Amino acid sequence: MVMSEREVSINVPVELPTEVKSLFLPIPKNMVEEVYRSDEYLVLIGPAHPGSGHMRIILRLKGDYIVEAIPDPGYVHRAVEKLAETRLFVHNIPLVERPTIAESSIMDHGYVRAIEELGQLDVPPRAQYLRVIMDELSRIGDHLYDTGILAVFLGHSTGYMWGFGLREFIVDALARMTGARITVSFVIPSGVRWDVHPDTLRYIYNMTFFIEKKIDELGTIFTKNPVTVSRMKSVGVLTKDECIRFGAVGPFLRACGVEYDNRKVRPYAVYDQLEWEVPVADEGDAYSRFLVRVEEIRQSLNIIRQAVKNIPEGPVIGSKLMARVPPKERERVAKDIRNYLFRLLIGLTLPEGEATTLTEAARGTLLYSLVSDGKSNVPYRLRMITPSWYNLRPFMESLKGYRLMDLPAIYGSWGYFPPEADR
Amino acid sequence: MGDTGVNTLKITLKSIGIDIKLLPDSWASWGTKFSIWPAHLVTACCGVEFAHTSAPGYDAERWGFLPIFGPRQTNAIVIEGTVTRKMAKVVKVAYEQMPYPKFVIAMGSCAMEGGVFWNSYHVVRVSDIVPVDAWVMGCPPTPEAVIRAIRMVQDKIEGKEVKPNIRPSQFDLTKLKPDKPQRPPNPPHRIEFELIKDINVCKPMPNVKWELGQKLVDGFKSTLGNGVKNAVVRNVNDLCITLDSAGRLREAVESAFKLGFDHVKSINVIDLINAGVFRMEYVLGSYMNKELMPVLLTIYFDVPRDEAKVPSIIDLYPGADYQERELYDLFGVWFEGNPWMGSNFLLDPDTPVKYPLRKEYRIPSLKGVVVER
Ligand code: SF4
Repeated sequence: MVMSEREVSINVPVELPTEVKSLFLPIPKNMVEEVYRSDEYLVLIGPAHPGSGHMRIILRLKGDYIVEAIPDPGYVHRAVEKLAETRLFVHNIPLVERPTIAESSIMDHGYVRAIEELGQLDVPPRAQYLRVIMDELSRIGDHLYDTGILAVFLGHSTGYMWGFGLREFIVDALARMTGARITVSFVIPSGVRWDVHPDTLRYIYNMTFFIEKKIDELGTIFTKNPVTVSRMKSVGVLTKDECIRFGAVGPFLRACGVEYDNRKVRPYAVYDQLEWEVPVADEGDAYSRFLVRVEEIRQSLNIIRQAVKNIPEGPVIGSKLMARVPPKERERVAKDIRNYLFRLLIGLTLPEGEATTLTEAARGTLLYSLVSDGKSNVPYRLRMITPSWYNLRPFMESLKGYRLMDLPAIYGSWGYFPPEADR
Repeated sequence: MGDTGVNTLKITLKSIGIDIKLLPDSWASWGTKFSIWPAHLVTACCGVEFAHTSAPGYDAERWGFLPIFGPRQTNAIVIEGTVTRKMAKVVKVAYEQMPYPKFVIAMGSCAMEGGVFWNSYHVVRVSDIVPVDAWVMGCPPTPEAVIRAIRMVQDKIEGKEVKPNIRPSQFDLTKLKPDKPQRPPNPPHRIEFELIKDINVCKPMPNVKWELGQKLVDGFKSTLGNGVKNAVVRNVNDLCITLDSAGRLREAVESAFKLGFDHVKSINVIDLINAGVFRMEYVLGSYMNKELMPVLLTIYFDVPRDEAKVPSIIDLYPGADYQERELYDLFGVWFEGNPWMGSNFLLDPDTPVKYPLRKEYRIPSLKGVVVER
């Protein structure tokens, strides 16, 4: 049967729906109109979605291919930078760790290093080693956390159980060291709060072997699971050049083939005295972003073992601070600053100037710029840029050109953590 | 809202005013009690401990507590920490979408009074948004505490008295020997921003020797000519260049880009309110040039506060885009050339203040005395 073709025009109303205003879409009105008139459409992902913390992504789709992705962050913007200007230098330690609570020790470490740099405070070697042990524990914890969330995104609840089940050991180790499961606030200017008992260190040492074994098992269950591989391989690809241009950091930058790790490039604490490698991948896809972090867990375990073996004896509070403790108390305070914490640190006023520190947090570069005016005992300005905030732009770029159903895999692979990004 | 399990599982025939129960009360409450399914609504960092509650370590599913994604299939919300102004709308929408009977557990000190963020301009209290059935304290609360709150909600469903199921150990404070009076430590908060005219951010450290840095500094001085007010090696791997105006930024950034500084680490604004200027700070770094990898190049210049206009650099460094938009949001610095200027990014449209990070906007501060015991 032959049908004659003819053009039919259907009258589609192109007035914008009224919801566009009430949804507070942070995109220009003419873009909505343009999409409305063409054969594309807008899809809003979030704010409530299965990720950790909330953000909205506004997708412009053609068919089911993503043409453009516009982020709408700020659902967890809690004004850390402003609040820091009303608190003492030491009071800010619990504040700056809140944005990335799963790796609180690293957040403290970066901030405290800025204080130490401005105030020229010294840190004894034992405290440096303890900081490294805590940082690496946090890093492992955070990568396991991201593994769990990635598994949730992929609908693989066993992966979630494994990630968080293993994290329980990390949390336990932190609790034994510091008394707090998650928010440790253990790193203070010029040292750490108290010395850690050798038994605890031995426990941590033994635990690393257990975790290593379990990471291998996790490999068969989740990491190398054919479903995981086929959903994540070759999606969300960014080339090396794009990664740099859009400013990816940390493991996500290394997954594009750039060998940059702040612990190697601008070494702090005792990272230059330990032997470890920087895992790098060349593919730049979602799967390599995940694999690099799994490999990093092994490296961190390695670092912890070395640090526990090599840790020197000695005080954990620096000599400049100790000089202000009465001599008969010094021996005790050098091992445990309790009772003297406020007396020594509350009046801490830093000389005028600015210190910028780069720290390698689990998800990448963590930058603090601390400006002190020389008179106040609160920061004049604290600039804090967290890895997820750097990674937001490359994350959006990596969505473009892929299909809507790839979004969960790509989102999970970036380990994007909104509380961290919004601060 | 006192609508708990039992009395909502019924149909009311309005015309004759008879309630028809779908299930006997005891069955209904028993069923509801062991199927508290919370919506997945991680409002902030307490979500980490919430995730542990459902993970193998604590396994709250033993009490029938199982997180589910969409609010339409759930009957509980656990508010996991801080609720920001932007999130408050979402919480409200999610709550309204849930079918009855529904319960709210507010988790963390942030949800009660703001916790660490009590004086933030972007944080609201949960009790102002949705009715709360159980509170969990802590920052973050431990999974055990969350489970206790679940037990409290279960008691509420059964119509029992809702009370904490652990009793804190008590002792009589009046019998304590009074401590010897404590001297408060030296002045807790000394905020003297009013006195600050200028901050010397470019102070070089004493005796720094770094040849590459000196070479770079000389290079910048010669290419930018009199546009450079001051160029010094601040520390090893740390250069600091001060330009005389915002107009020179493009030139400086372009020459840095040619040298191999291929990404922006930070854009920052320091508000020098008494001098009437914003001090802009650009920190550049390099990934591709091995020699420059550890180097931080910091560029400073001042722009007047009342007419803060700065050329955008997103054509060279697309990665700086979101930082520029953020600083517009927080300080109101206009980056000329960035197409998104003038729209909110991080902040909620209803935030009571515009440009909250400017110094003239003061938030309450804990200036009280901290007494040590
Ligand atoms: S109570 Fe503490 S852990 Fe919970 S959201 Fe607030 S700051 Fe984060």
